[in-house]
Amino acid sequence: MADVSATMDLRRRDASDKLRGRTRYTIDRYLPGMLHAAVLRASVPAGRIVRLDTARATRMPGVHAVVTAADAPGKIGIGIADHPLFARDVIRYDGEPLAAVAAGTLAQAQAALAAIEVEIAPLPALLTMAEALAPEAPLVHPDWREHEILLEGGARAGNVAWEATVVRGDVDGAFARTDVEIVESTFRVGRQNHVAFEPRAVVADYEDGRFHIETSTQVPWTVRNATARLLGIAPSQVRVTVPPVGGGFGLKFDLAIEPFAALLARASGRPVRLVNSREEEMLTCLFRENAEIRIRSAVTREGEIVGREAVVLMDCGAYGGEQIFLTTMTAHTLGGNYRLGSVRLVSRAVYTNTAPNGAFRCCNGVYNTFALERHTDEIAERIGMDPLAFRRRNVLGDGDLGATGQVFEGDVLGPMLHRMDTLRDAAAPPRALADGRLYGRATTVGTWFVFVGPSAATVNMNADGTATLVTSGVEIGSGSMMQSLPQIVASTLGIPPETVIVRAADTDAAGYDVGVGGGRTTVSLGAASLSAAQEVRTKLLKVASDLIEAAPDDLVMREGRIEIAGAPGSGRTIAEVAARAQAQIGPISGTGAFTGAGVQAMPGCVAGHFIGAIDIPIFAVHDCEVAVDPETGHVEVLAYRVVQDVGRALNPRAIQGQIQGGVVQGLGYALHEEVTIGANGRVCQNGFETYRVPLAQDVVPVEISLYEGAPSIGPLGTKGAGEVPILNVGAAVACAVANATGKRVQELPLTPPRVLELLLDRKQDIALPHIAAAWADNLVRPHNQPDRS
Amino acid sequence: MVFTLSVNGDRLASTADPVTPLVDVLREEFHLTGAKPVCREGFCGACMVLVDGKPAPSCLMPVALAADCEIRTVEGLAGGGTLNPIQQALETCDAVQCGMCFPGMVVTLTHLLTTTSGATRDDIRAALTGNICRCTGYERIIDAAVLALAAT
Repeated sequence: MADVSATMDLRRRDASDKLRGRTRYTIDRYLPGMLHAAVLRASVPAGRIVRLDTARATRMPGVHAVVTAADAPGKIGIGIADHPLFARDVIRYDGEPLAAVAAGTLAQAQAALAAIEVEIAPLPALLTMAEALAPEAPLVHPDWREHEILLEGGARAGNVAWEATVVRGDVDGAFARTDVEIVESTFRVGRQNHVAFEPRAVVADYEDGRFHIETSTQVPWTVRNATARLLGIAPSQVRVTVPPVGGGFGLKFDLAIEPFAALLARASGRPVRLVNSREEEMLTCLFRENAEIRIRSAVTREGEIVGREAVVLMDCGAYGGEQIFLTTMTAHTLGGNYRLGSVRLVSRAVYTNTAPNGAFRCCNGVYNTFALERHTDEIAERIGMDPLAFRRRNVLGDGDLGATGQVFEGDVLGPMLHRMDTLRDAAAPPRALADGRLYGRATTVGTWFVFVGPSAATVNMNADGTATLVTSGVEIGSGSMMQSLPQIVASTLGIPPETVIVRAADTDAAGYDVGVGGGRTTVSLGAASLSAAQEVRTKLLKVASDLIEAAPDDLVMREGRIEIAGAPGSGRTIAEVAARAQAQIGPISGTGAFTGAGVQAMPGCVAGHFIGAIDIPIFAVHDCEVAVDPETGHVEVLAYRVVQDVGRALNPRAIQGQIQGGVVQGLGYALHEEVTIGANGRVCQNGFETYRVPLAQDVVPVEISLYEGAPSIGPLGTKGAGEVPILNVGAAVACAVANATGKRVQELPLTPPRVLELLLDRKQDIALPHIAAAWADNLVRPHNQPDRS
Repeated sequence: MVFTLSVNGDRLASTADPVTPLVDVLREEFHLTGAKPVCREGFCGACMVLVDGKPAPSCLMPVALAADCEIRTVEGLAGGGTLNPIQQALETCDAVQCGMCFPGMVVTLTHLLTTTSGATRDDIRAALTGNICRCTGYERIIDAAVLALAAT
């Protein structure tokens, strides 16, 4: 164990340069001789390419290379490989790439795009999931049976790209009981744009027969492997390095524009820079998906949930992408929070002729938590129980079963609700607002989980007493790479955290990593870093024990020295020991690796899931007070409180910064951020004028209480803290608005027109006729039946 | 046509087309990449620079209009080796996350600090209406402005 606590108030080392404008993000990189690239994109949502002629473009001034589908033979995806780099024969969404050009200037590249001759025969487009699931709907992927399957087990058919199910217990029996109330709710949410300030950007070169890709990504190894797959080359032919990233939020958790630049670099023999325009970012964002949810519960009058079923439709857009994987998460985000009797859930990723969706902070979780918490309030109202009392009675506790039958450890949510009671009661009492606005308050719970997965780390001990940490981790702004990881290494080695050098991600230098997202950085990379530092520590102590003539067990490492325990000032400096070791036995280094523990689901309970159970659950309790203007429908957030399960807080101030930021991003989702698709299949919000994110005047300071001590397999008891803060913001705001107005809130965001419709009783209940009344009729194949797709 | 620009006290020549946005000239000709062209609509403030002492989004200003003005970018705001008071306060308050919006934030808040005394939190929020941050939820930025105002 470390002698020095890893809990620190370490300031970010990257702040000074960021404040001076010195930090070089990918968009700031310029290489000598560099060309500029641009991508030709389709302007119809569905069509057949009749002719694509690049001959004239190649002769345009300044043009060095033009590439098309012929240059990128592979397809990528998660679970199924359905996504080519360029549209081949068929166009499936407005904005789909058709060709890419590299030229001396961006203006020349754009002029060349205009010279590419394209003839497209439009096809009927499916713009909604209702259209895609209609019985006679055309297929977005007529060739879906031919897609390579990368993970067996997901049911697929037609426009259902992937389907994941949970069935545990006798749900029909539960709903047939005579002592239960059956409560049914339906919900709908729109798409959210990440609006990462740095657009997706890349500078690629082809050096000594290998690609070098410098890119703004959260997943350097995914970029490496997926680029290779699209180009039909070995992954080892690609090196990916990552400068500081100007915001991710999940947008950069997938391959983006890197292969275009790579292909153009190889074709031109020059470095190539490609940066998405803001309009491209707005129109082809990989948004948080729109979703439609029906949820039914059978609940006794005493408040026991004996049965629950749900159908969740997730719009994946034209290609499966992340949504294939995200179908897994419904089991935990909709089936979490509460003890359930029997349960059956189906989560379906549905193809439409719209821009593909992707991962976004607490992906799948924000809308399922919104649905679950609003449904919970509707249950409480039906059985005449206080909603908070209902929650206290039912939240998951020690030994309880999750939806997939995994056994949860520890009482966490119950004590967190109690903590929130204290926080809330300490605040000013509910007030009748003097200005005539309607007052509402709500407390909601949420369950998230860390994507664990493999990570690797190396710690090199330098002869000057510093240490260099080498990982594939990326600093996307959360501070994990700048604070928690160096803190872990520093505490293990007894050196100042400022002397731990953190190497920027480079797939040639560091081992495999799933990527920075999902709250996994401190957990997975942290565990690998801890393990690597411990190996260094062991080696240093052995060398020191010879020098100091004391047994390694009697030595401590603290304040840059290796000393005999209880004798401060004895022994040697770590630099002296490291230098001696380097001369005698060679430089000291250590390596560490980590992956999930593999918690088990109940056998036979799940189908089509990428993981069946949660290694590290994370819980959150949010409390929100709102004022609703009955004249305009405007919702003002008056107060916001968060109790968040953090396992162990290594840097409380850094975590609090993540919570404030995550809650505000959630307020945007709850109140005004929505991407819509026009009748022409194009995203309607093409810039900051039409897509409004929260401004400084929209937000309130969040009152925060960090809940420590819940069980975790994370290093030093940590859990990820940056992902979770957005999880139940939509839920808390929606429940508070429902309480303020006395109306049934079924949709987000709660824009003034929508709230006004509710207040004026002009809003009809959301009907989802494309979700069949009988749960089983929503399945591609019956649960637990062999895959015949 | 050649424009001569005064940028951070230096006289710099540009041969750009007169309608080229100032932000592109700063970044691509002068390699002053502090100002970030994030929205290119004048909404986000990440490309904010001081033009004759007043904050202006450099994405909306044609370079020709900047020719006779004193331009100061974020690179020119730190005095010598030290950060200016708002930069110091932002560092102290641990306000920085991804950092892309901060060059513009620093420009706006430096102007606020040098032209205003006794600004309240609400005044600071109002001053930041043209500077969007997607990471922090603003509170640390406002804390820093309060701290810096108190110190001046």
